[in-house]
Amino acid sequence: MQRFLDPSILAEISSLDLIAKTVVDGFVAGLHRSPDFGFSQEFAEYRAYSPGDDLRHVDWNVFARTERAYLKKYRGETNSLLTVLLDASNSMNYASHKVTKMDYARYVAASLFYLAIHNQRDAAGLIVFDDEVRNYIRPSTRQGQVNRLLHGLELAEPRARTDFAKPMTHFQEFLRRRGLVVVISDFYEAPEQIIRTIEPLRFRGNEVVLFHILDPREIRPDLDKPVILVDLETRDHIEVTPEYARDTYRGRMESHIGALRDKARSAGMDYHLLVTDRPLDSALREYLTIRQGRN
Amino acid sequence: MGFLAPWFLAGAAVIGLPLYLHLLRRHTTTPQPFSSLMFFEQRTQSSIRHRKLRYLLLLSMRLAVLMLLALAFANPYINRRTIAASGDKQLLLVVDNSFSMRAGTRLADAKREALAVLGARSGSERAQVAALGSQTQVLTQPIQDSAALRAAVDSIRPGDSRASFADLARAVRSLANSASARIELHFFSDMQKSAMPASFSELNLPPGVSLVLHPVVKSTQPNWAVESVRAPGRVWDTKKARVDAIVAGYETPAATRAVSLIINGKKVASQNVAVPAGGRASVEFQSLDVPYGFSRCEVRIDSADALPADDAYLFSVERSDPQPVLFVREPADTRSPLYFGSALGSAAESSFSFESLTVDRASHVSLSQYAFVVLSDVVSLPSEFENDLVRYVQGGGGILIAAGTSTGHRSNVPVFGGSVLGTRDYSRDAARFLTAGETDSSHPSMLNSEHWAGAKFYYAVAVDPSGSRVVARLTDETPLLLDRKIGEGHALLLASGLDGLTNDLSVQPIFVPFVKQTALYLSGTADRSGSRQVDDFLQLRTTREQAVSVEIVDPSGHRPLSLQEATTAESYQLTTSGFYDVRLANGRRDLVAVNADRRESNLEVTPDDVLALWRGNGSTEPEHAAAPGGDSEPAKPRSLWWYAMLLVLVAVIAESVVAGRYLATQREEP
Repeated sequence: MQRFLDPSILAEISSLDLIAKTVVDGFVAGLHRSPDFGFSQEFAEYRAYSPGDDLRHVDWNVFARTERAYLKKYRGETNSLLTVLLDASNSMNYASHKVTKMDYARYVAASLFYLAIHNQRDAAGLIVFDDEVRNYIRPSTRQGQVNRLLHGLELAEPRARTDFAKPMTHFQEFLRRRGLVVVISDFYEAPEQIIRTIEPLRFRGNEVVLFHILDPREIRPDLDKPVILVDLETRDHIEVTPEYARDTYRGRMESHIGALRDKARSAGMDYHLLVTDRPLDSALREYLTIRQGRN
Repeated sequence: MGFLAPWFLAGAAVIGLPLYLHLLRRHTTTPQPFSSLMFFEQRTQSSIRHRKLRYLLLLSMRLAVLMLLALAFANPYINRRTIAASGDKQLLLVVDNSFSMRAGTRLADAKREALAVLGARSGSERAQVAALGSQTQVLTQPIQDSAALRAAVDSIRPGDSRASFADLARAVRSLANSASARIELHFFSDMQKSAMPASFSELNLPPGVSLVLHPVVKSTQPNWAVESVRAPGRVWDTKKARVDAIVAGYETPAATRAVSLIINGKKVASQNVAVPAGGRASVEFQSLDVPYGFSRCEVRIDSADALPADDAYLFSVERSDPQPVLFVREPADTRSPLYFGSALGSAAESSFSFESLTVDRASHVSLSQYAFVVLSDVVSLPSEFENDLVRYVQGGGGILIAAGTSTGHRSNVPVFGGSVLGTRDYSRDAARFLTAGETDSSHPSMLNSEHWAGAKFYYAVAVDPSGSRVVARLTDETPLLLDRKIGEGHALLLASGLDGLTNDLSVQPIFVPFVKQTALYLSGTADRSGSRQVDDFLQLRTTREQAVSVEIVDPSGHRPLSLQEATTAESYQLTTSGFYDVRLANGRRDLVAVNADRRESNLEVTPDDVLALWRGNGSTEPEHAAAPGGDSEPAKPRSLWWYAMLLVLVAVIAESVVAGRYLATQREEP
């Protein structure tokens, strides 16, 4: 099933709905072999019946064997609220292979939505932003919510440039209920600025996860000659030598990733680096881990 | 060095393309998009330095390819003087044997120099010998046989023709077209100035021909000559005949020359004449006492100069009984025969007897006995007589028709055939008369007739001039004198009368010479009388006189025509001076005196600067060319196209190698 999580294979599938279904089904099928994760009504403990308890929760099998009434306690199911903040700036349009960062982000978001709504009965919503909020789909579990979200993802074409500060004020208005907030972006900002901007989401009891989407060539540029690079957002030109890209740039990128991870975690947020040539399961696993922790 | 197609050099402008690609566009390689440049820094300097080191060599290679391509298409050439093997050169020895080469030892000197050139040539070198007279006469083919070449030079005899250097150049151009090797032209001549053409361009020699001049004289020599003689070709009354001669001196001091008239080898008169320095003097002999028949006459001077051949001027005179001239008139017209007969008899050397008849009497005479016929304004002609007249003219006779007032009433002119368009009665106009406007002085009737403008014409008949030669016109463009060739003869029409009423021509001084020249013309005497120049052509027969043998005895006493030629030749070129005894196809005997062109008597030498210019016109330098059998060759344009293309090939290969190395280096990187 691993191959169904490979982004290059998913790129061949045009339907985002089918992509999400393929990813999640494959992912879930893999999970059945794991004892650490379970779904549905999970047994917690037995408690002696006391007058006033609801007879529907009595475990009649135990009563038949022991003639004692015990109530079967289940771990309480609490519907979560998943909100995906998707960065749709121009820098997300970069790709060194078939899958752009934006495509990868869509796959991740779509898979999360599918997993949340179909498998977890969670409400899911979407906020698409670049330097302002471009689209907002309110979290819901209503019929057709998945389709609305996937449609919102398909409409999210990269443009403009990333600016966390400006749309963040609007995020506060949209996120009235506590839940899980997933920020999917390439985070081309100073880590301090990013954390400072996103940190307020945590104050309402939200769990915040940063999915850092990067192309493998962004981490390890492969230049064989001096080239002129054009910034996809600012359209700035700069001439870069292979030596610089090989040495200085890689160091700077790694320190940027490390700084962002450290600052996110110190701020109580989870951070995950997603490289676009890797499978998507790590993102789904992260989601389920966090959700389990919330319960 | 030059370019045969210099416009292709404009193609070198494309070298701007690699310059632009290599230097101007070095910052603008294809940009690659990237997510964000926040972790990059500018490293331009190191990049450019790196690229410069790599690309300058490649750039220079590409520039060289483009430059050489443009150079190759521009087709460069150099004027290269190559040293060729002696077998590639051909000597052309031309000896001038024109009339002027008879002066002193000129021809002998020229032949001696030619033999010297032949002796100096290498044995394998081919040579060709030619003689220059009026035409270039090639004596041998290009051969190596020294004996044959020497014999050809020795065989060159002095000629009487006039040399033309333009003809030499034409002949050499023709030879050069067929020659496989370059030609070294050696010209042995006295470099007479009169042989130079009017246009220097006619002396142009083709590329591959080098000219070496061998002048046999260095300076102009003085020379006296009898330049021309005017004498009647036929006389009857020897006491009326006169001989006028002009003695000319070329570059001579003033001197007195003794001039003699020699008839049949016997000096009959002699005079002394003072010839001014470099000038002319005329001599007149009052009588020409020749016996009946043809006489060989000459006017000779005692010049004692270098060219004795031009001291005598030959002419022939035939003494015969006067030929009758038939004058046909109306019975009432007595004035016309009076005027015309008087004029005809007044001609000094006139050999015509005048016979005036009315129309009705003339109809019964035989026309063949008359030298020519005059038809003076007759009202009507019996048709039989008119037919006789037409046949007479068609057979070679001549007729003069005077169209007076009677002809004006006819629809056409008898015998002449031209329709009468109308009459012009100028006496009724305000001016009362018209004069002759334009005259054709080249017509035999108009020779020595310069004063036609003095004659007044009161009446004229307008005749359709189509098919006729208009010899003179009145000032209102009415044709006055027309000449029409009818068969072998001529009909001359005067559009006015001879009676002195319709014009006053009969009492004008012009009338006598007009009648004399017209009589000579219509009788055919003008063609035979006098003398001719060397290289003139003598007409032997008319178109009606085919298959009739002619006979020519040249001055040396030989018969130059073979039997076949004697029956077929239309004309004969008079190549030497002297007396030619000729019996023409019509049975008439003639004695033709031939003299050399007197322009050959002027021994003035062509200036050295002109000769130098001519030498330069050939494509060699004089000092090199002066050595016969040498190894110099005229500068020839030698194309460098192939060399340029080879360089292009080398540059392309080098460019490929350099570019390949760069690409290989780039692939190995990071």
